[in-house]
Amino acid sequence: MSDFDRRKFLKSTGAVAALGGLGVFGLGTNRHAFAQSDAATDQPEVIQKTIPSTGETIPAVGLGSWITFNVGNDIELRKQCADVMSAFFRSGGRMIDSSPMYGSAQDVIGYGLDALGAHNKVFSTDKVWTSGDGASQIKETSERWKVQQFDLLQVHNLLGINENLPLLFRMKDAGQLRYVGVTTSHGRRTEDLIAVMKNERLDFVQVTYNPVDRKVEDYLLPLAYDRGIAVIINRPFRGGSLPERLKGEPLPEFARELGVKSWAQLILKYLISHPAVTCPIPATTKPAHAMENMAAATGALPDEKMREQIAAVIGVLV
Amino acid sequence: MSEWWDYGLADLLLFSPRVYYRLFEIMNTTWWLVVVSALVAGVIASGLALRHGFRGNRVILVLLALVWAWCGYGFLWQYYRPINWAIPYLLPGFALQVVLFAIFAARPLPLRFGWRGDFSSYVGLTLVAFALIAFPFVGLIEGRDLLQAELFGSAADPTALGTLGFVLLSRGTWRWALLPVPLLWCVISAGTLWVMDQQVAFVMLVAVWVTVFCGWLDLKNGVTTKRLTEAEIKDPAS
Repeated sequence: MSDFDRRKFLKSTGAVAALGGLGVFGLGTNRHAFAQSDAATDQPEVIQKTIPSTGETIPAVGLGSWITFNVGNDIELRKQCADVMSAFFRSGGRMIDSSPMYGSAQDVIGYGLDALGAHNKVFSTDKVWTSGDGASQIKETSERWKVQQFDLLQVHNLLGINENLPLLFRMKDAGQLRYVGVTTSHGRRTEDLIAVMKNERLDFVQVTYNPVDRKVEDYLLPLAYDRGIAVIINRPFRGGSLPERLKGEPLPEFARELGVKSWAQLILKYLISHPAVTCPIPATTKPAHAMENMAAATGALPDEKMREQIAAVIGVLV
Repeated sequence: MSEWWDYGLADLLLFSPRVYYRLFEIMNTTWWLVVVSALVAGVIASGLALRHGFRGNRVILVLLALVWAWCGYGFLWQYYRPINWAIPYLLPGFALQVVLFAIFAARPLPLRFGWRGDFSSYVGLTLVAFALIAFPFVGLIEGRDLLQAELFGSAADPTALGTLGFVLLSRGTWRWALLPVPLLWCVISAGTLWVMDQQVAFVMLVAVWVTVFCGWLDLKNGVTTKRLTEAEIKDPAS
């Protein structure tokens, strides 16, 4: 963390947690300030995070579609996915993320948005994943989602970035896209991503982060914070293996202070309490889990000391 | 900066076992008559292939061409393709296999099915029997519903596995041409099943290994290189 003032960064971490604990989101002075959702709406009070490049806020937990929404033409399973989306929206969620790599997931999201009439609720997030014609892939992606314009498009795993990133910037400049991002996963190609973050005006990056995979804490997250890049977190549960491994283990005593009811919620609170993190995107096949995940974006958040405790406990148990 | 070889096998598998096995349930219940017919075709073909002599050779090849065509269109294209982006790249292999069976059926090429009683024949019999009889029940052992049974002639894994057995039950210089596609499918499927933590992955790999071993054994023993006599071709029952 040589390029950054680590003390200042960690101090802001504590400040974020304190704000969460006191329930006074939105009063922070940094550009990553939290805000509480409009009480006048029928949505639960969900912690909002700020997208640094515009100041727009989005709910602090999103919905991934990796594996879980790739159900093909199976109508029964498509309806189950729509139920998950319904529970997600009803709990105050907005960001849904997908990729052309995820098989039928984009079609299934489009099906769900149609079934729920939720095109105006979603913060649509997808990717371009090709070393060929990115523009035609994006067109196909739009047709699958049945949306005219995406909120965010990302270069998936930096594939074809020399062609695809300029394409996304051109779309943004032309008003066809609101935000531009780049993704990686599993901690790979972090150095390449950092180089892109330093040299391009990215709105978002997407990386793998959870209490076990913490490499991004050292440099990438502080860099994102410093450069005003919003951060989406993929694999928050390590593809579901973390809650599976922790099943049956009692929650630590200190978790009571946070009001969490599950390991999944504890992990999500760990993630969203990081000041550089904008939105983890856990995937699920169960509406109840979607609601449980969204509930993690309410109430108190852990401070830096408790974050370390969470990582330590989970590190020992898994 | 990023290239395709950066991806691991687990990165490219983007569906869950729950969704994968639902494919068979939907296909079995929607197309049950075709699925049963394809299985019966496999049983008839195996009965013909296990007889002494070479009678019914053409019928076996036609039946195998039909089940591969149905498996490619019915299972791969209709059901598997929407959840697996790699299927369009594998479908030409299935089409090639159908064409090969059709060519062998249409022309008097030196390829004949029949029981020889050697080691490869027993291995071939085991593979065919496993694909036709045992494979549908593998799911039961792993706790799945019988409606999700993978049946020869419709599901790709038992069809490829059984085809390896049929090839081992044949003789002739051109039989190797029928091996690459089912062998390749078994290897790919083994990888897929392994990533999904399915024990049956090992069966697919063992099938590949024994087929290659028996192919080598037969080559050494002259089963594949020994040309059929004019008498054998003229009198399939001999």
